[in-house]
Amino acid sequence: MDMRANARGVLLSGNQAVAYGVLLARPDVIPVYPITPQTPILEQIIELHSEGRMKAELLTPESEHSAMSACIPASLTGARVFTATSSQGLLLMHELLHYASGARASIVMCNVNRTPASPWGFWPDQLDSLAQRDTGWIQVYSESPQESLDGVIQLFRVAETANIPAMICHDAFYVSHAVEPVEIPSQLTVDEFLPPFKPDIRLDTSLGRSFGAPADQRNWNNTRRDLDAAMATVPDLVSEAGRLWGDLTGRHYAPLEEYRMDGADVVIVTMGSMCGTVREAVDAMREAGVKAGMLKVRLFRPLPMAALRQALEGVPCAIVLDRNYSPGTGGILHQELKSVLFNMRNAPRLHGLMAGVGGVNVSPAKIGELVAQYQDKEPQVGAIWVD
Amino acid sequence: MELISYQDEGQFVSGHVACGGCAEALAMRVILNTVGSDAIGVVSPSCSAVICGGYPMSAVKIPMFHTTLESAAASASGVKRALVAQNKPDTTVLCFAGDGGTYDIGLQALSSAAERNEDILYICFDNEGYMNTGGQKSSSTPLDAITGSTPSGKTTRKKNLIEILAAHRIPYIATASPSHINDMRAKIEKAKAIRGTKVIIVLIPCLPGWGVADNAAVRTARKAVEAGVFPLLEIEDGVNYRLNVSEKGDSIESYLKEQKRYRHLDAEHIARLQAESDFQWRRLQQRVADSPERRS
Amino acid sequence: MNVQQSPLWTTQTSGARLTGTWRSALPDYRFTPSPCLAACPVNGRIAEWIGKIGKEDIRGAWETLIDNNPFPAIAGRICHHPCQSACNRQYHDETVSICALERYVGDAALAEGWRFDKPAKERGERIAIIGGGPAGLSAAYQLRRRGFQVTLFDAKPKLGGLLRYGIPDYRLDKNIVDGEIERIVDLGVEVRLKAEIADAAALKKLRDAYDAVYLATGASSSKKLPGLDYGAPWVVDSADFLAAANAGNPVATGERLVVIGGGSAAMDVARTARRLGKRVTVLSLEPEDKLPAQRVEVDEAIEEDVVFVCGAMMRAVRPAAGGLALDCVRVEFTPGKKRGEFAITPLENATFTLEADAIIPSIGQNADIERWRGLLGVAGPVIGTDGVWRTSVAGIFAGGDVASMDRFVTQAVGMGKEAAVEIARFVMGETAGSGFDVGPTLSFLEINTHYYPKAARNSPATVAVGERLKGFGEVQERLATAAALAEARRCFSCGNCIFCDNCFFYCPDMAITKLEGGYEVKSDYCKGCGLCVEECPTGSVRMREDTQG
Repeated sequence: MDMRANARGVLLSGNQAVAYGVLLARPDVIPVYPITPQTPILEQIIELHSEGRMKAELLTPESEHSAMSACIPASLTGARVFTATSSQGLLLMHELLHYASGARASIVMCNVNRTPASPWGFWPDQLDSLAQRDTGWIQVYSESPQESLDGVIQLFRVAETANIPAMICHDAFYVSHAVEPVEIPSQLTVDEFLPPFKPDIRLDTSLGRSFGAPADQRNWNNTRRDLDAAMATVPDLVSEAGRLWGDLTGRHYAPLEEYRMDGADVVIVTMGSMCGTVREAVDAMREAGVKAGMLKVRLFRPLPMAALRQALEGVPCAIVLDRNYSPGTGGILHQELKSVLFNMRNAPRLHGLMAGVGGVNVSPAKIGELVAQYQDKEPQVGAIWVD
Repeated sequence: MELISYQDEGQFVSGHVACGGCAEALAMRVILNTVGSDAIGVVSPSCSAVICGGYPMSAVKIPMFHTTLESAAASASGVKRALVAQNKPDTTVLCFAGDGGTYDIGLQALSSAAERNEDILYICFDNEGYMNTGGQKSSSTPLDAITGSTPSGKTTRKKNLIEILAAHRIPYIATASPSHINDMRAKIEKAKAIRGTKVIIVLIPCLPGWGVADNAAVRTARKAVEAGVFPLLEIEDGVNYRLNVSEKGDSIESYLKEQKRYRHLDAEHIARLQAESDFQWRRLQQRVADSPERRS
Repeated sequence: MNVQQSPLWTTQTSGARLTGTWRSALPDYRFTPSPCLAACPVNGRIAEWIGKIGKEDIRGAWETLIDNNPFPAIAGRICHHPCQSACNRQYHDETVSICALERYVGDAALAEGWRFDKPAKERGERIAIIGGGPAGLSAAYQLRRRGFQVTLFDAKPKLGGLLRYGIPDYRLDKNIVDGEIERIVDLGVEVRLKAEIADAAALKKLRDAYDAVYLATGASSSKKLPGLDYGAPWVVDSADFLAAANAGNPVATGERLVVIGGGSAAMDVARTARRLGKRVTVLSLEPEDKLPAQRVEVDEAIEEDVVFVCGAMMRAVRPAAGGLALDCVRVEFTPGKKRGEFAITPLENATFTLEADAIIPSIGQNADIERWRGLLGVAGPVIGTDGVWRTSVAGIFAGGDVASMDRFVTQAVGMGKEAAVEIARFVMGETAGSGFDVGPTLSFLEINTHYYPKAARNSPATVAVGERLKGFGEVQERLATAAALAEARRCFSCGNCIFCDNCFFYCPDMAITKLEGGYEVKSDYCKGCGLCVEECPTGSVRMREDTQG
């Protein structure tokens, strides 16, 4: 059967697309709390729910903290769980993000990347989720409504296989509110792709097993070793999910996406909505004879280290564009890349530029200028603000 | 003599690590056996978590999820919703939390769960302070009680959580005491049969925290009830109040004397506490009198 | 590919952790005698049988009762009930009406016709018992139960002794006496009535013919008031007076009687005389609050219009117009160390005169010890015995009024029981016991009074005075069933486990196991907190030091 035959194309914002992805994943429990600019996800889910199309238990507690507190044991009870948040909400959840991964809860969350206060702002910036990189969550960054929809479904498969919570992140407004044509796959397609969630061990009266009881040092240590082993399987799981999804829908995904990197003298490495801008800039540069390419980091946690090294080996120059700022070091993706490429033979000269922090607009032309400016320079230590 | 009657079904197991003579373990025994095997528990960090837990052993037969200090009600909501989604709506979701996890840091989540009328049975083991961390004051610590953080006695009153909860108009609120086991059992049974948010506050005289003798937790709790310091009551729908022990003694002094945390009190302080206790009692009686569905 | 979940899901219960190693003390289930048991002349297991009443097991209560006393219906009427004076409940509200409960059970047994079980095994040893009063009957009963062959000799035409001839019907109906004695005889006691053992020689002969002899001839001769002319027609012997009245042939006296004495017998005489229509004054040395009679007897006598002149003595009697004039003087009464000992000082300025037609001195009874002189050693006014009722002659035991100045009926019953135990040892060649002390009793402080809400005592009703004086019907009524059950449930059951399961339910460590008829402590888990002891209503659990490695 041609699964794509039942797919339909509609115009959706990134947030709406997420909600449709959730619908198709047939979640059991959705604890969710509103926050700009995540709210349309919540609204769309509630609309689908009130139309009777979505059967999930909707839980609207008083805070993101309680939302995540509900997510974890719901997942451990064997329910498929989704939630969504942004910025302050994600930061409020921080304690429980650790708790979720420690509990190996297969939650999928959409985080809409937004500047953390203070001061108040509602702008695209990835610091909120990047600051959660040590919480043990899988992180995938999406650049479009279609990718967000597809990503939600793929992440359920990954999270429920690895027993690790996963978040899909997309940028405020540039993705969350941008309306684009989106292909909504058929339920049949999704059902084939995503089997029901049935963890062997769960909070179940017939099993009588408890979770979270105090553990001694050795046992605590073992939980992190186990998490590490599970994390190590994630890049392959993400690859596999992207390939399978591609077979079913024609849209293939991978932890990293290479764009016009053949014979590139310079590769721009970035995540999220910036990728669209960079793609345009690369096309323009190629047209102008500059051998530029792009490496899109889709899977940020776990960082696909081997794949990154493989992709960048022999590339003369790589420029990381970070839409985030970690005070004291600079761009977070840049720091991550430096550590990945360290001690690698044939590593590119690596520049880290903070472009678009706080949602400031970065145009394709600006990116062309930056490439021209930095391509042949020796890399500098310290944060470089370019916008 | 009224005999205690409930079936110990072995839902709570020997070998737990509660202090010898702990009334909280005693109450857990009553509650867990009354709730039975078709239940899942959520416990926030507290003595009850320690008593339940200690990987790889569990002292309780039902599955327990240990959550964060402020999250008991929210996590219990999550479990309940998952069960409903799995078409197991009759499984009881039981919450164990201390007064710190209820009156203080967990109040927000509890208030929200109560507002949503989540179908959970929330037990607050009220030992009037952060006793598991060595005895600091919480908002449940009563006036004049000495704790690690109120070395001269607390200067403010105990938070009236009961009335806060009543204001949520949840179907069932009750207090219970390890000295009144049949009453506790009856309340658990009743709560179990009600859909919606049920909160039962159980007074737990903490042996080290209150400075009570190893064999005196039950006696102290009994005196709290008999002196009217901790009235045994039920509130249905937030408005129908009932006192289960409808008379109180004239003096709280015998209750105070059981505890080192009140040892510093002079006659004037005791008189003030008595007046406070009498005031609360009268207020409660008025609530009973004003209840739309008055019951004897 | 499904990666493993967290390994930290619990895999076992905490049962593997043996918290018993924490403790320094372990609870011990222990029977401790209740104060009532210790005070009871027969050391009856009072808490136990009252507990059975509470559970509406009246037959069971009776079976426990008759272990120590074959006369619950009699004792339930006339016992001086020191149990009630010892009862711990008096420190909480009021003492338990033990005596009335005993009667409740005793009457039920008579009404239902419950019989004693025949001895499981007959034995060959033969024991002679001299005297069919409470001590002798009690001994006969206890020995028969143990299978010994008992021959009971009594000088009178019927068994009962004081029970039959000394206690008026309004206190003890003779049908009750008949019923409870008949049950004993029915056990297989050989009874020889009108069979007086006349003297020491006859006693010696009896001793030779039997494996052992129990001497329980009572104290049947009245003590004489010095200076009183007992030959005078207006002096009436109190024992004769009571015996005649009990037999339905009262001694003829004048209208106005003065009864001298303040004990139970004096009350019996006074109240019997009232029922015969006499005007009665009791003259006693003791002040009213120190009268040796039971308080209830004094109170009922007062209700029946007996006039009490207490704290006074008669010095002389002289004829006066239409009768006698008794010259009396008030005295200061100082009790001595032993029961029955006292000193008196006349108050010279306080003289007065009583008028009477007859005087009935009733100052106590003497045992006839002269009869055995030369054979048995004496101790003051009674036959000498050691702590286990052995007389100076091996194989002759003595008890009751002939061997003791403890003169209450149930004391005699108790002595009979104790002697039976010793006689059994003797005839079976065992070492004599060391006495009958039950040891320390349970203190009120060990009772958890929380479990006993204050409750008024249920006392038996008494017949209205007007009714009483019309005849010799019993004054006290039996407790109604509801009152008896309520009263039984007031009992603290001091030191006697009532299997309430409090220890089981109040253990936070599930370290108590319920067994058939008891409990066991799981030493693997008991942390030694003592909650089971604290919450035991009856003081039946105690902590003892115990340290586990």
